[in-house]
Amino acid sequence: MTLLNVCRPTSLAELVAVLRGADPVHLIAGGTDLLVGSRALPDAGRLVDLTALPALRGIDTTGPDIRIGAATTDAEIERHAGLALRYPALVQAAAECGSVQIRNRATLAGNIANAAAAADLIPPLLLAGARIAGLTQGGAECEISLQDYQAGSGMLITTVILPAEGFDPDSAFVKLGPRRDLTIARLNLAVTAQVQDWRLLEPRIVAGALAPRAIPLLRAASVLDAQTLTADLLRAFLDALSAEVDAAIAGRASHGWKRQAIRGLGIDLIARLLKLSNRDPLFDGVM
Amino acid sequence: MGQVGKRLALIDGVEKVTGQVRFAADDAVAGLAHAALLFSPHPHARVLSLDAGKALAMAGVIGVWWHQTTPQNGYNSAIWLAGQQLLADERMFPAVVRHVGDRVAVVLADTEATARAAVGLLEVTYDVLPAILSPEGAQAHAGPTVDADRQPTYLNPVAKAALDHGDVAAAFALASHISETHVTTPRSHHCAIETHVCRAWPEANDRIAIHSPCQSVFAVQAVVAQALGIAADRLHVTKSPIGGSFGGKAEPILDPICAFLAMQTGRVVQLQLSRHETFTATRTRSATEGRMRIALATDGRILGRDVEVTVDIGAYCTGGAYLPGSMLQRMVRLYDVPAERYRGRAVYTNTLPTGAFRGYGSPQIHALGEIALDLAARDAGFDPVALRLRNIVGPAAIDPWQGLNLGNARGADCLRRGAKAFGWETRARLAPGTGRFRRGVGMAAATHINGCFPGDDESTTATLGLQADGGIVLNCALHDLGCGSDTTLAQIAAEVLGLGLQNIRVTPADTDTCTYDLGTRASRMTYIVGEAVRKAALALDQAIRDAAALALNAAPQDLTLQQACVQSARTRISLADLATWLAARNTALPIATQTHRATANPGSFAVHFAEVEVDTLTGRVQVNDYLAAHDIGRAINPMLVEGQIHGGIQIGLGYALYEDVAVDPGTGRLRGDSFARYTLANAPEMSPIRTLLVEKAEPSGPFGAKAVGEIATVPVAPALVNAVNAALGTRLTDLPLLPERIILALQN
Repeated sequence: MTLLNVCRPTSLAELVAVLRGADPVHLIAGGTDLLVGSRALPDAGRLVDLTALPALRGIDTTGPDIRIGAATTDAEIERHAGLALRYPALVQAAAECGSVQIRNRATLAGNIANAAAAADLIPPLLLAGARIAGLTQGGAECEISLQDYQAGSGMLITTVILPAEGFDPDSAFVKLGPRRDLTIARLNLAVTAQVQDWRLLEPRIVAGALAPRAIPLLRAASVLDAQTLTADLLRAFLDALSAEVDAAIAGRASHGWKRQAIRGLGIDLIARLLKLSNRDPLFDGVM
Repeated sequence: MGQVGKRLALIDGVEKVTGQVRFAADDAVAGLAHAALLFSPHPHARVLSLDAGKALAMAGVIGVWWHQTTPQNGYNSAIWLAGQQLLADERMFPAVVRHVGDRVAVVLADTEATARAAVGLLEVTYDVLPAILSPEGAQAHAGPTVDADRQPTYLNPVAKAALDHGDVAAAFALASHISETHVTTPRSHHCAIETHVCRAWPEANDRIAIHSPCQSVFAVQAVVAQALGIAADRLHVTKSPIGGSFGGKAEPILDPICAFLAMQTGRVVQLQLSRHETFTATRTRSATEGRMRIALATDGRILGRDVEVTVDIGAYCTGGAYLPGSMLQRMVRLYDVPAERYRGRAVYTNTLPTGAFRGYGSPQIHALGEIALDLAARDAGFDPVALRLRNIVGPAAIDPWQGLNLGNARGADCLRRGAKAFGWETRARLAPGTGRFRRGVGMAAATHINGCFPGDDESTTATLGLQADGGIVLNCALHDLGCGSDTTLAQIAAEVLGLGLQNIRVTPADTDTCTYDLGTRASRMTYIVGEAVRKAALALDQAIRDAAALALNAAPQDLTLQQACVQSARTRISLADLATWLAARNTALPIATQTHRATANPGSFAVHFAEVEVDTLTGRVQVNDYLAAHDIGRAINPMLVEGQIHGGIQIGLGYALYEDVAVDPGTGRLRGDSFARYTLANAPEMSPIRTLLVEKAEPSGPFGAKAVGEIATVPVAPALVNAVNAALGTRLTDLPLLPERIILALQN
């Protein structure tokens, strides 16, 4: 009795034909958002399964830009050695999404299109100045920056591009949820910077789960810029992170906790960037 | 001794892990009709009208029922015996819904998808009424629980329990130290993997069959009979394999509706809740708030306690009326306190009803008692272990409320041996540190019951019989909830009969073929039912030897059962050959039935020790080490005992740190209504666990055994809270210890 038809195109041409058809189109890749019980499936139109399109899969780190197929899974990102060398923050974020089972199904573009405030892949992608290549509802090719992407606009993402100038191997991602694993972030942070002689040059930080969309923490990042990492500097950095929380969510029930918790997460972020334990003596005097 | 004390695998383990077990909703049945429920979106409202026109117009819809078209007999889903006196304040579909998730209507259709779609087409108008969403509000809504016509009034308190023992005023006057602690415990959800489900169909002779993952087939029969207003013998209830319960399936919630629909339509009817519905429309552990004053002497003796407890039982009485008394019962069986004053009350609120959940009041009252005692110890300068050793009850202690002998109570052994194994003395002296991460150790003691004695129906009947193939069938109203009780009971029978586990076949509960038993509850399976099985096995052993004596021409007392044979020094016959020999002579095969009526209710004791590390910036707690010492009497199957302890710690860890269904005080909706929003402790959060079993036999238990299933979760939360408070120097007493609460406490 259902009016929902499922199709599984295997070529872009076939996909474009479906997109140009008269039926309302609903896209599905890993299904980790659409198929969970708390959401209602659409009851009419075409459910288009994107997982059989070779053009939407794969990670290419051999060129100056990094190109990642939209339907690449979190697990594939997590395990990609080339990506881990060139942009660890994204690999670290993918490794902390959901569970093993979720990561085996969930896709890069799904995380973007679902547009949850707590999405883990968004902060490192925004930091990298990611661009999105895709198809409009009419099937025309288009490319926009992730910053300009609007969820629900009808754009089908085919490739995520990390432009060569946007990312740096000195990058890191950390996350804080109700528990350590299989958890939805209550806060996440990504950083990129050039690390030189205990200094972070041109650091940039993006925070997730602090606003409806991930936001850059410009002031907190500026505190660190080109300064030698000392306990005093780190304390100023943590104060700046708390101030960023004050600016973002003052008055919210979670405000009091998040302005303190971000200090712990801030230390974790710097530790991970520097490949140190968060118990390193460097952080002893920061409390 | 061949079977008792052995680490034997579950008798249904291979079936389970290979997917051969057929759960209630697994079997395809031709013509199966599916029911789906419409739930109230309001915490309190009169259901004024229902327009089912659009739903009934859908192809495949069989019918729609609501309060005007269903029996309005009052019932209580927590009874386990017809005639049990509990407020009968539930209706299948009430005219006035009393909580978000209360039942408004049901649709029956050819498929579940159709039924659920049709529910979405029902048009209902409500007159929204004022709602009471907090226990504080409930206190103001006070009056008699029943009116002059014996109808429930929904006024508070629903139930009370009180104890005045000794001279409490004098105790506090003599005290060298007095402390007062206020503790709140959250509502928590059972989180069984199998959601609630029931099947029912018409049987011959105008009867209805109900197949249900339940904790007592006789409870299902009694509740459905009360709800439908029909004779119990028209209901034939069988227990299906169960995908977890923890008390969540103790009350038949769906069974009356399912049976009613089968009666109405003549169809095989299935009603299965979704995960969301199981969260929002079944039962939770009750939330409590308690205040305890403790009077300590200079030597650490507890001179007196003064305790006030309020239990939020939700919208219907269910078994909540028992909770104030249950909590009192557990409280007074742990320490020898010469003067106690206790006031407990249960109150209605317009929230999800509460019910049984692993420990039935024990986790709540021991959280209050053990957190309060720890803070008292800290304030007065006592070591927590030493203070408890000074006060814990010993063997043969008599409790001051019911006057029961606590049996071979070995809490002190748990304290001493547990503290030694954990290295308490050394670790408790270590400073928590001054950096971001602070370390602390904590511990808590607990006791729990073994069965329902002195309740007047605390007995059970077991039958064991030799089959033609030489196997033994155990018939008893058994409800293994996945904990392995069938295996434990089979081990007891096998031990007595000199058999292997594979020789014993266990039949699931069936109201038509089993004698009455009140079900799997109150930690009674091993202690009560196990003893009935042991007695039946002894009687069967005698009957088999008597029969074999003829076959072997020997004196029965010279014969023993070993390895599926009956033998003497000079001759032997296998049980299979004996069965054949008897059958050929037209002689009945040996069978034995024994009823065990409990005469005692000894205490099981446990002491848990934990080391935690707290992140003072994020408020996250990591459990680094855990030791559980249990007074078990005798471990019939140490592997299953350890499994119970591990599972109990997982539930207790969530209770301490994460879990709260959290009723929104504005809307009455649950915030934790899915696995995404309700945080359970998963594998990475579990600490390494060591178990220490104190095996000093309880004379009244089978082979000395006592219960472990419920008590395993009881001391966990207070042990962890006490460890966090030790690490931080805080006085955190509101569970769960969410990061927000920890950070707030540190800032204050």
